[in-house]
Amino acid sequence: MNNNKFLILISDKTTPKEFLFSKLAISFYAIILLFVFGEIILPGFISFSHVMSVLRLSVFLGIVALGQTFVVLSGNEGIDLSVGSILSIGVVLSAFFLNGQNINIPKALLFTPSVGLAFGLISGLAISYIEIPPIIMTLAMASVVEGTSLIITKGFPTGNAPPLLETIGNGKIFNIPYLIILWILLIIIASFILKKTKWGNLLYGVGSNSLTAELSGVRVKRFRVFVYGICGAIAALAGLFLLSYTGTPYLNLGATYTMPSIASLAIGGISLAGGNGNYIGAVTGCIILTTLNSILVALRTTEAVRQITLGLLLLILVIAYTGRRKRW
Amino acid sequence: MEKYIKWKNIYQNPSFPSFIILIAIIILNAFLQHNFFTYRAFKSNLLTFTPLILTSVAQGLVILVGCVDLSLGATISLVTVLMASLMGDSLFSMVIVVFIGSGLALLMSFINGFIISYFDPPPLLTTYATSVLWFGIALFFMPTPGGYIPSHFSKMYRSDLFPRFPVVLLFLIGAFCFLFFMSKTRFYKHIYAVGGNEEAAYANGVNVFITKIKVFLLSGIFIALASICVVAQTATGDARSGLSFSLNSVAASIIGGLSFSGGRGSIIGPIMGGLILGLLINVLYFANITSFYQEFMKGIIIIFSLAVGAIPKYLKTRSL
Repeated sequence: MNNNKFLILISDKTTPKEFLFSKLAISFYAIILLFVFGEIILPGFISFSHVMSVLRLSVFLGIVALGQTFVVLSGNEGIDLSVGSILSIGVVLSAFFLNGQNINIPKALLFTPSVGLAFGLISGLAISYIEIPPIIMTLAMASVVEGTSLIITKGFPTGNAPPLLETIGNGKIFNIPYLIILWILLIIIASFILKKTKWGNLLYGVGSNSLTAELSGVRVKRFRVFVYGICGAIAALAGLFLLSYTGTPYLNLGATYTMPSIASLAIGGISLAGGNGNYIGAVTGCIILTTLNSILVALRTTEAVRQITLGLLLLILVIAYTGRRKRW
Repeated sequence: MEKYIKWKNIYQNPSFPSFIILIAIIILNAFLQHNFFTYRAFKSNLLTFTPLILTSVAQGLVILVGCVDLSLGATISLVTVLMASLMGDSLFSMVIVVFIGSGLALLMSFINGFIISYFDPPPLLTTYATSVLWFGIALFFMPTPGGYIPSHFSKMYRSDLFPRFPVVLLFLIGAFCFLFFMSKTRFYKHIYAVGGNEEAAYANGVNVFITKIKVFLLSGIFIALASICVVAQTATGDARSGLSFSLNSVAASIIGGLSFSGGRGSIIGPIMGGLILGLLINVLYFANITSFYQEFMKGIIIIFSLAVGAIPKYLKTRSL
């Protein structure tokens, strides 16, 4: 069964040897190294329950990174800086719709991603048709979304997660948290969509060469609008899941998710120019970032040391992965 | 020699829409704030806006050459933290610390420039990484806001050189003169060449590597100036003081009509963009918009300015 998953993930042209040295594989080695390092420094780090709880923390970043993956893959220097704010408003809106009642779950599942979809579509429309650079548009959108969440809550978010959702967020089956199972399902679905469906192939095509795609009959502009919309919807859905974990809503929970979602893509070997890469790469990036952070927190380092470590790591990675000595 | 003004050159300039928006915002601000045209309001506005304007110029230079620099804010933070940690009461100390701070700003910009020019990584991620790094270092040396800035340093910054001529204006005028003289050099044309099409510039003999490094160093000069303004204005060192500058300066540059891929736009654009953003906050305050709506309105107005800024591009393609 594992082989199936690999077959989905690698293209037919990669030899096993090439795969062992690919960026994806390096990320896997890095995860293992990190956990070993964690065990050396903090005995007990590699206990099953601890590993599970660290992985569970990275689920939210992982879901956000899925949307970000779609946007970055779609090319045109695509990026979505509003995912953090949409996550925040997703938390707040889900809490509002759910109001602690199990019956409201379908309603929340329908409306929250729709709001995220709407915000994403607006960003996508401006980026595709008015040709505002994605960085700026999504940045401004982040302000708009953040402002909206302030306006509708008037500073005090209401509602909370219903019992069923809380068990999903915090419960385990066979000692594996439900959220991780959910994430594994999501990974399988996402990888399948990206590599095996027409939509996924279109995404790669538009991302690697939008002119060719346009000439082949793909409505590139319209396609990109939907990609941004989907990213928004996924981010809002991540907000719902985050609420299931925390129980009560807080404002601005998503602020710390935006840049790490981009960083995790870089770690996972997804090119920011688009057209190249795999969701699994982003997943490994998320796990690396979250694990590193949890090691640093467990070591009781100050925020300063955490930031310096993260910054240095990212810098080295960025140079090593994408850098080449330019001919000039 | 032409004896008439080419109007087409003016209104098709990418930075022209931002000029219109700037006039509109000034009018709006004057309408909402009754004492807008008094010297006091003028000076207070100037004191508030200058750091952002200088940072926007720094960012604009980097964007013109085809990159982006998200670490400008963190650079300002670290330099102000350094200056607030070292400054003493004597004139000698003030001058030395200002020089050290400027040197640090130049060094940090050089590091960014070197990495981006030599290794060719994506500027967005690289400068994000360095911004996290600088922020961490600043936090390390000053976990909570503090430090010491002699009160006469602050006072000197806030005072007037001549009657009706604030010291702050010196910074801005100095920056403008510098930009003006720079715009006559060949280096300036190289910036646009590299920003527009790197390969073509290289093929035409432009030293792309040196040009990019020079641009980052140049932006470092403006960041140094901005840091002096911030530290004099707030009289403390705060590791979080620069955080908003990075993204705001990018927004200011794009509102000012700069093209994100580089090579297009006037250097006046970021200046106007910075003014627009600054006055925007004023407008939102004086229109009695509650703080809940301020973030929202800021985003909406930025999007609106960007959409307006896209109009000359649209008109150009239509006339074809």
